[in-house]
Amino acid sequence: MKSLKQIWAALLLLLLGAGSVPAYAALAIIVHPSNNMAGITAEETANIYLAKVGVFSNGQRAVPVDQTENSPARKRFYSAVIKKDDSALKVYWSKLLFTGKAQPPDEIGDDAAVKKWVATNPDAIGYVDGKFVDSSVKVLLIIP
Amino acid sequence: MRKRILGLLCLGLAWHALPAAAAGGLEGVSVSGFLTAGATYGDKQLLPDTKAVSQDGTIENTPGFTADSRLGLQISAKVNPDISVTGQLLAKAREDNSNVKADWAFVSYRVNDPISIRAGKIKFPTFLISDYYEVGYAYPWIRPPQEVYSSNPITTLNGVDMLARFRLGDMSLLVQPYYGVSRGAQALVPQEAVTAPTAFGGLGLPAGTIVYTDFTADALHGINLSLSSDIFTIRAGSLRTKVNAPGFGVFQDTAKFSSVGATMDWHNVVLYSEAFKREIEGLANVAFPNQKGSYATLGYRIGKWLPHFTTARIADNDNPTTGFHGIPLEQTSKTLGLRYEVSSGAALKFEAQKVTPEDGTRGLLIAPPSGTAAKDPGSNVMIYGISLDVVF
Repeated sequence: MKSLKQIWAALLLLLLGAGSVPAYAALAIIVHPSNNMAGITAEETANIYLAKVGVFSNGQRAVPVDQTENSPARKRFYSAVIKKDDSALKVYWSKLLFTGKAQPPDEIGDDAAVKKWVATNPDAIGYVDGKFVDSSVKVLLIIP
Repeated sequence: MRKRILGLLCLGLAWHALPAAAAGGLEGVSVSGFLTAGATYGDKQLLPDTKAVSQDGTIENTPGFTADSRLGLQISAKVNPDISVTGQLLAKAREDNSNVKADWAFVSYRVNDPISIRAGKIKFPTFLISDYYEVGYAYPWIRPPQEVYSSNPITTLNGVDMLARFRLGDMSLLVQPYYGVSRGAQALVPQEAVTAPTAFGGLGLPAGTIVYTDFTADALHGINLSLSSDIFTIRAGSLRTKVNAPGFGVFQDTAKFSSVGATMDWHNVVLYSEAFKREIEGLANVAFPNQKGSYATLGYRIGKWLPHFTTARIADNDNPTTGFHGIPLEQTSKTLGLRYEVSSGAALKFEAQKVTPEDGTRGLLIAPPSGTAAKDPGSNVMIYGISLDVVF
């Protein structure tokens, strides 16, 4: 009886989730709840992360933060949103960093650390695995 | 006792704080650096009494591990979201006593999103990669083409610059004016001036002697305009200054540079090209004649490998034919290079360069003094190089 219930539940999940549940968890671009942006494009996000702009399109200062190197969310974010490989990115930042023009985003930690950081910093923007999202942060974009 | 405990506690704290700060762990403080370890070899001994092949002595007719080697360390601290302080120390193996100098030391103030103002010691962009010339990892060659990059011995200024960045659709325009003075710069005295008899205004030293002279530059001002997209950067710049070299009686002589350049990284094609003109008035022209130069580099990325080819030239830029004036250096060179990404943040480079002095001059190479023999080293000189470039 119990097992039948489980099967039904699984079927229901499958139906509900069909097409929307990806093979791996979605990535969420998050900001502080006070940020009045309704959404953000991947392109604008990339411009902020590459220090091409220092503000959101609403004029508010944007301070991007990174997860630590080798975190799955970071790998996913850089391949899906930034679209530069590691070496190209290192060359890109070398030119800006060592000429005092810009600094790469600070590394804050894992998903939980980034969520906590964004929840407490009004200008912050970060990315976390979708399952870490809660009401302490605002989601501007989902990368499926 | 309490004092001692307190002292120990402080020491303990410092002990723990230092590595944390060094790892960028201290909030607002970041430490980063770059390193180049390189060896070069010139295939010909050009003068009987010296192994030096290039007139700046960095390339010798003996394998040397010092010529291109250097280490840079940068510390940046955020005072608040709008103000930061940055210092960059540079140690070059080339300099005998391996002295460490501050290459950059400035305060940056962000006026608003597109505009920042920096004050202090700043490397200014005479050319495309002038301000990151020491960061080998950031460009394909071992040495940026010397036919262009050796032409301005002034690389830093004490003063201010402004970085104004504007978005133009998918592109970004950088407008960077700068103003300041240069103190403590050293310039290579050309071989003609070194070897020419004292009666003719030269130093009368043996051929192959390498002499640097101290000089200063006043009212150094210029502008750098750079338009870039994800694929390309196009830039133009000009600068003007008044130079003084007390050792040579040079006082307030006007020096002017203008340059254009472009770089592209599209699919697997990598392209760099620049051209410049230098005009120097007065007595300073004897040591720094009017020159022009250019280069073009084409590369094609194949996975982790980037083979590239460069052709470069330095030539006479219509020097005056009367009065005091120097002899322009003329040479062409062709360079075959290969860059290999060892890992993210580390690249290994190999180069073979064929240098051909032209028009009866010795180009950027060392040669016997004028009058006694042809200045032309006679034929091509091959320069081989290998380097490892790292950023951390």
